[in-house]
Amino acid sequence: MRLPLLGLLLGLLSFVSALSASGSKLLVVIEDEADKGKYSQFWTDLENRGFQLTYRSPKDASLSLFLHGEPAYSHLLLLPVRAKGLGPALTPNLLVDFVNGGSNVLLALSGEQSVPSAINSLLLELDINLPADRTSLVVDHFNFDSKSAAEKHDVILLPSPEFKKGVKNYFSVDGLIAFPRAVGQVLGNASPLLSSVVKAPSTAYVYNPKEEGESVEDPFATGSQINIVSAFQARNSARFTVLGSAEALEDKWFSASVQLPVPGSKAEKSSNKAFAQKLSAWTFMELGVLKVGQIQHYLNEGSQKGISNTSEVASIDVNPEIYRIKNDVHYSIELSEWEIDHWAPFSPPQGDSLQLEFSMLSPFHRLNLQPKAQTANSTIYTSEFKLPDQHGIFNFFVEYRRPFFTNVEEKRTVTVRHFAHDEWPRSYVISGAWPWISGIWVTVGGWIVFVALWLYSKPAEPKVKTR
Amino acid sequence: MKLLHSISVAALALSSAVNAASSWTFDEATLQVTGKGAEAAKQKITAGSPVSSSSPIVLPASSTLKVILTAQEGKTGKKPHQAFLTLQEVDSGLEESFAFSVKDNGKGKVDVSSKDLPFQFLTSSKPLKASITIASFGSSTPYNGHAFNLKIENDSSSPPAVPSAPERYTNKPEIHHIFRSDPKSPPTIISLVFTLAVIVTLPGLIGAWLLLGGNFDHLGKAFGASPIAHGLFLGSIVAMEGVFFLYYSSWNLFQTLPAAAIVGTVAYVSGSKALTEVQDRRLAGER
Repeated sequence: MRLPLLGLLLGLLSFVSALSASGSKLLVVIEDEADKGKYSQFWTDLENRGFQLTYRSPKDASLSLFLHGEPAYSHLLLLPVRAKGLGPALTPNLLVDFVNGGSNVLLALSGEQSVPSAINSLLLELDINLPADRTSLVVDHFNFDSKSAAEKHDVILLPSPEFKKGVKNYFSVDGLIAFPRAVGQVLGNASPLLSSVVKAPSTAYVYNPKEEGESVEDPFATGSQINIVSAFQARNSARFTVLGSAEALEDKWFSASVQLPVPGSKAEKSSNKAFAQKLSAWTFMELGVLKVGQIQHYLNEGSQKGISNTSEVASIDVNPEIYRIKNDVHYSIELSEWEIDHWAPFSPPQGDSLQLEFSMLSPFHRLNLQPKAQTANSTIYTSEFKLPDQHGIFNFFVEYRRPFFTNVEEKRTVTVRHFAHDEWPRSYVISGAWPWISGIWVTVGGWIVFVALWLYSKPAEPKVKTR
Repeated sequence: MKLLHSISVAALALSSAVNAASSWTFDEATLQVTGKGAEAAKQKITAGSPVSSSSPIVLPASSTLKVILTAQEGKTGKKPHQAFLTLQEVDSGLEESFAFSVKDNGKGKVDVSSKDLPFQFLTSSKPLKASITIASFGSSTPYNGHAFNLKIENDSSSPPAVPSAPERYTNKPEIHHIFRSDPKSPPTIISLVFTLAVIVTLPGLIGAWLLLGGNFDHLGKAFGASPIAHGLFLGSIVAMEGVFFLYYSSWNLFQTLPAAAIVGTVAYVSGSKALTEVQDRRLAGER
């Protein structure tokens, strides 16, 4: 009796302190304890947001991502290491298992030290390519910070990232973000799970500062094909973010004053702090997490036509298992989105829409759901439509997979039956049937008259007599 | 001393300003399109002013575009770190850069042939925008300017292979089920004409019977002889049709069958009596 109560209390407590939708335990892999101080503002920010930070060195023998075969942490932050590999606890295979277990990873790279080959092969699993020489970094002679990198041009200043229509922007900040000595990534084209967050400007290119020579002849990548920050969201909605520049998270850049090399530009404060906050919030499931609430479908005809609130009607049959073809039905789904510390009503970004499919093998209907009502922390989307004229086993299927949102996949299976024999229109309302119906009644009448005539007819007088 | 110092500071500032003002540019730039057996078409490019955009440079299939230039920092030829010819597809913004191979004196060249280009460039409906970027480390102002427009012509016998679009998570087009059309009736007027034609046959039939001498004259006689049997028999025949009507309009089979059985039994029993009476009349020669 006491034990479950205690457990409930503990669960409640952990829920209160956890602000991420998926858990609060964050493992930070940092090679040198002394480097910890460089990121102190970032740690404070994370701790204030409710994360429990554990710092470990990749060489630590007790370091393990798993406990009893389950991920031991909800989130992992990998800072750049000088060593060639990440050690036996952080092999690419284990990291992929960690993501498959539903945990999130923020991987920070740095162009200052060579990227471990383990990271290279891990990113290849996700279809992210890094320059082969492992020490290359991104330069741009047009958008660098003229205060700190007037000679080397390797601190790139970029405005807030922008996305095409229909993609939610969780990363917008005011002002310029500084990416010092960033490692450029090139994303594969095939996977819909990958998305680019921050792209390099069109005049940027990747070069290897260790390489002698005054001119770049065969760059690994150029222009906006280079990604400085990219995001991968697995099928289980676990997130893997690659940040090209770990230095961008340092205190130094959180409050740096930066200036573009264009004449007339003013020095301004970098927005790295806001960007680091947004990037970590998205990666660690504080943003873009969707939850499905109540799903209802019911007949929208006869006495149930146009019901706005199902609880008002006593005898309504909600979520029946069987419908008839050509029935009018009503479908509603309740969706919430996690916003930092609470569930908020969800609305898709401009130009996007939540869609309902009514499908048997392939969709017969694919309809945009309309927001009908809103509660304090959810939006109710509805659609009303006529079932197709095909009987069989159908699904009400809402599949919402979009970049930066966790996946929503909700299937409700119903039977759609044929018309019963007494549900067809009566023959007398079909004008083409009138000659046939009248034929029957003429036969009936004729039969009765014939019977009467046969029974009661008096024989005719023989005509011979009159002659 | 102080004056000297301030002068030297000013001179230093001036010299650094001059140094900062030095900017990258290029000179002696030409582009030429060389094809198999075709005369190389040459055209001069000048920094800062693009070749007239109304008539783009045409790059026929299996020919090569060659751009030669001399990169300069200020007035002197120098090797920059970045010397790119960038092609951009205007609609999608897709870009591809080609690095010049530059010598120490700043002379550089780049060759672009249509087989180096991605399929989006080859299938673009608008001319590609080509720009030249010359930049390097340090404080010199980098150069990035629109140079010319390039129209790619494809070999009409072998159009470029366009791979199918990669999968992206986005909203899909709506589908509205197309219902089979409802069964149709012929025009009502035609149905009415034929209905009328069918109905008219009943009075026609009765009229024909009457004309042939049909009558109900023995009605009184028959009912006089066996009123119950005749009443029930004729009644049960009419009632049977009534049962059929109810079956048509509202009853189901399980309501119909008992009713039909009852009516049928009545008809059988009363019928045998009634038909005996009819037989009696026949034997009496009254039929």
